Amino acid sequence: MASAVAKVPTLINTAITQARPKLNIFMKYARVELAPPKLSELPQIRQGIGNLITSAKTGAWKRQTVKEATLNVLVGAEVIFWFYIGECIGKRHLVGYDV
Amino acid sequence: MSDLPYGAPVRISPLIKFGRWSFLTVGVLYGAFHQNRLSKKEAKLREIEAQEKVIRDAKLKEEKERASALEIKALEEMASGTAKK
Repeated sequence: MASAVAKVPTLINTAITQARPKLNIFMKYARVELAPPKLSELPQIRQGIGNLITSAKTGAWKRQTVKEATLNVLVGAEVIFWFYIGECIGKRHLVGYDV
Repeated sequence: MSDLPYGAPVRISPLIKFGRWSFLTVGVLYGAFHQNRLSKKEAKLREIEAQEKVIRDAKLKEEKERASALEIKALEEMASGTAKK
């Protein structure tokens, strides 16, 4: 038992050294893919919102393939889940409101 | 960018990026606002509870005293009853 406890720091160290290159790769992708939108992309954003609205108005969203619809739902869900991450940051607690 | 094992990073649509970041900020504001609101509400409740605790403690103390007095009286009666026999 004592030897197992003594191994914990080395285990943590190896975990960190093994995770570091992967984290570096993650950061390289995240810098590009999770970057906030630039101001120069504003017209594209406006166009995208316009597309969403027109597709909602004309009913074009009903004429998607199942694959497209699944992908769009998943992407939409991912985008909405960012709200809950933000809420957790705002309330500074993971589960429920810590009052 | 040459040492990336999964190819070049995907170009995310600006709309999705905008959606993510705006939802994130809205979520932070929402969470902070409700945290503030709920903690104020809870503080008010705690205050009321503290006021009620004083009253309740006094009431409980009085009841306890009355009960112990009754008990002592009953015991005395019992004792005097056995003494009479």
